[in-house]
Amino acid sequence: MNWTNVRLILSREIRDQLRDRRTLFMIFVLPILLYPLLGMSFFQVAQFTEEKPSSVLVVGARDLAHLPPLVENRQFAARLFNHSDQARRDGADRVGLLEVHFARDEPEGPDRKRSNPRAEAAGAIQAGQYDAAVYFPPDFADRLEAFREALRPGTHRPEEPEETDPTAETPAAQGTPSVPRPEIIYSTANEKSQIAFARLFSVLERWRQEIVQEELAKVGLPTSATRPFDVRSADVAEETGLRGAAVWSKVLPILLLVWALTGAFYPAIDLCAGEKERGTLETLLSSPAERSEIVLGKLVTIMLFSMATAVLNLVSMGVTGWLILAQLPQFGPPSPTAAVWLSIALVPVSALFSALCLALAAFARSTKEGQYYLMPLLLVTMPLVILPMAPGVELNLGNSLIPVTGVVLLLRSMLEGNFWLDWPFALPVAAVTLACCLLSIRWAVEQFNSESVLFREGERLDVGLWLRHLLQDRRPTPTVAGAASCGVLILLLRFFLSLSVSMPDGFRGLAVLAIVTQLAVILAPALVMTVMLTTSAGQTLLLRRPAWATLPAVAALAVVLHPSVDALRAAVLQLYPVSEQTAKALEGMFRGAPAFWQLVLVVAVVPAICEEIAFRGFILSGFRHLGHKYRAIFYSALFFGLSHVILQQQIVACLVGVVIGLVVVQTGSIWPGVLFHLIHNTLGLLVAQVSGKVTPQLLDRWPALAWLVSPSDDGMLFRWPVVVASGLAACALLAWFQRLPYSKSSEEERHEALLRASETDD
Amino acid sequence: MIRVHGLTKHYADLKRGKLVALDGIDFCAGPGQVYGLLGPNGAGKTTALRILSTVLEPTAGSATINGYDVLTQSSRVRHEIGFMSANTAVYDRMTAWEMVEYFGLLHGMPRDSLHDRMERLFERLKMNDIRDVLGAKMSTGMKQKVSVARTIVHDPPVLIFDEATVGLDVLVARALLNTVAELRDHGKCILFSTHIMREAEKLCDRIAVLHRGHILAEGTLEELRDQHHERDLEELFFQLISRHDEAHP
Repeated sequence: MNWTNVRLILSREIRDQLRDRRTLFMIFVLPILLYPLLGMSFFQVAQFTEEKPSSVLVVGARDLAHLPPLVENRQFAARLFNHSDQARRDGADRVGLLEVHFARDEPEGPDRKRSNPRAEAAGAIQAGQYDAAVYFPPDFADRLEAFREALRPGTHRPEEPEETDPTAETPAAQGTPSVPRPEIIYSTANEKSQIAFARLFSVLERWRQEIVQEELAKVGLPTSATRPFDVRSADVAEETGLRGAAVWSKVLPILLLVWALTGAFYPAIDLCAGEKERGTLETLLSSPAERSEIVLGKLVTIMLFSMATAVLNLVSMGVTGWLILAQLPQFGPPSPTAAVWLSIALVPVSALFSALCLALAAFARSTKEGQYYLMPLLLVTMPLVILPMAPGVELNLGNSLIPVTGVVLLLRSMLEGNFWLDWPFALPVAAVTLACCLLSIRWAVEQFNSESVLFREGERLDVGLWLRHLLQDRRPTPTVAGAASCGVLILLLRFFLSLSVSMPDGFRGLAVLAIVTQLAVILAPALVMTVMLTTSAGQTLLLRRPAWATLPAVAALAVVLHPSVDALRAAVLQLYPVSEQTAKALEGMFRGAPAFWQLVLVVAVVPAICEEIAFRGFILSGFRHLGHKYRAIFYSALFFGLSHVILQQQIVACLVGVVIGLVVVQTGSIWPGVLFHLIHNTLGLLVAQVSGKVTPQLLDRWPALAWLVSPSDDGMLFRWPVVVASGLAACALLAWFQRLPYSKSSEEERHEALLRASETDD
Repeated sequence: MIRVHGLTKHYADLKRGKLVALDGIDFCAGPGQVYGLLGPNGAGKTTALRILSTVLEPTAGSATINGYDVLTQSSRVRHEIGFMSANTAVYDRMTAWEMVEYFGLLHGMPRDSLHDRMERLFERLKMNDIRDVLGAKMSTGMKQKVSVARTIVHDPPVLIFDEATVGLDVLVARALLNTVAELRDHGKCILFSTHIMREAEKLCDRIAVLHRGHILAEGTLEELRDQHHERDLEELFFQLISRHDEAHP
């Protein structure tokens, strides 16, 4: 790496971007104008929205004469509107906000029974004639009177009128007439209707209080009897200067990430796809600058612009927000330390997004094609940004290991002022973000090294031609694209199957589902694709006989590795606990106490064959054409892991997949993989069966056993020396496998030859 | 010094299956020589020159430039060459001076000697009036001058020109050919690809006729004329190609 070249490229790219009017507008002008404009339009819109009155229908308000007046001058009485904050929020602080309409009087006499004013009112709401209606049943006044009568001295039950909930049935056994119930009819499907409901409810509530007060006055009790105590609130955030921190800590991280991404995207497109389009990329590629230097120079440029965009947006928003917030006393500006935390978080976030954008932009042929990639990029990153908004998602070790989400959660916690509580999580968050950054940078460098990406030409999409090419130009083993599509197909089928089939209850259901999944979802796609896309099933699925010595070695590896895998599983469960519901469902599946051989058949034998053929057969063979053995193993293991149902299984399966992948590559045969898988799953079943029986009493009787395992809440755990020994032994066995001569794909041979040539050169 | 041995390049192509752009070509060009690659469009000229400039990797075969292998010692190769093609454009948002300076610095030239050399180059190529003009504002001829200056600013021993006169008017093309001839006289090894017979006749010391990834004939202009008993290069070229197409339909 020649740093002078990186610096040269960096300064050229920055100058280039600063001379581009579009970039300047996006990054400097837009944020400065955007927030004042937004603030202005917010106030403009707010002026209009506040004033809208709700139109309300009142049914049956005729005979309320002897009560405190609800309606005066064909409007609700002005006293029923109060000026508390709550009322202002509900929009129930002014008479004009409720536009009252009265249902025409119901006909008296025999017709009365036939018409149904309540249904008519409901119909009117549905038809959108009124926003809401309040319905007083015909006998409302009489029942209210009877109720009040029943409460007068002699039959006095003081606590009841206070506590009566209008929707709850009053026990008739107490001898009190049932509570009369006016009804507010509204629709939750309509926002205007919901607002009208809140306003009406507030008015009726005040009216009820008036009636209560009247009643109290009659028996000579003071009004304060209905309010024996008052609740006050004290906000400690006010003292620490963190007022509004809860809101800021949710809003600022998301804004930061969204702008860091936007700020990275446009320069990236211009610097890669734009250069390709303008023909200057080849000029640069034929200069002495190495690809990695070019990538780094461009990456840092993009990062700087991403950071500048985020900072400018936050500053502009902050200044505008400050002025607006000065008018809202209960909501304070973010604390000055927020700026520090945001700046610290901005660096890794920008680096990650810049590297992602760079790789995508390098792939695009033209700026136009580059713009198309913004949406997929947003679709992938936004859920990670939004996830922390979900209620109950908190910073813990598990969440801090999720890329982007971890950063948002950590940032939120810092903005809430929990530095001393949560700083240890900075470590995993930084590690994960760094790893993602490095992976993205690597991807970007690879894009720049791939000539098929750099010199991609526009091709007409011809499905027929493509299919013919697919079927005619087959090779003995599948292509990388074939392997990837097989993996994606399996995942999709699996997903749709899980949607269309309910969770089985009991072992019979589980057995049927598991076997159908294995055969139809995992084995079938791999076999069909092998037949259609390759010329040699034997070479693709590695059906050749392995060297005999490898079989006992594989069996030993599977046994020896088990305590380590078990410990890993326990650790994963600790990190990401299975929800109670899932645990219960899983337990239910194994109910029905089947014979052990049946369990082995369903959980070990069938998956060992089907999954090995798909993941270590077709998919691994395809990925071998990548030219890197370990990358092929990793990708096949990734698909293997993802094909499991719950996250906790996926993580463990992914790692086990790497081990099996290595074994299969080194032995050149699928059978050792099948054997490993079979033993691994059977051992898992055995341990699960035995584990419940390991009690302290048993360990007392067999002290030797106590050296190996310790009982825990969920059965037994291997003791750590056993786990360490198991790990070491497994590593030794894997090292032995690693040294076996293995057959390489042509791409792997070429890659190694190139490496050797460059090494001798240096 | 350019040595090419068994150079092969395949592309995957949906329509035609495996596309063989170069099928094991061999040639050798020495210093003080303009070596012409003459071929119709799609003959494989650009592919060959892109491999020599290390932008593409060969599928098989090898090529060395001044003894450095294009595949395993690509960065040393790039220091030895100046590469100019119809696809190596000029930056829109950079002035002529900045552009040439940028590539000189990338080649690791110290600033002082770079500026001295640039002054002389700008004088020689008559570029002083476009010194501070942005690439976007330049005419095709101006851009071509900047590209030439960019290609030779680090004084490389090997120069590769790929269809460098495409799209130029007669005056500019003639000036470019003169520059190439001057460079040859300074002892540079020059690889010059073209599909224009006149240029090849005027400029090239040796010519290889490239068609569909094969070299059909190779030698000095005189040797080619004698071997094929045809004085007119265009006629000779046409015969070679039709004969090859008849033999390999």
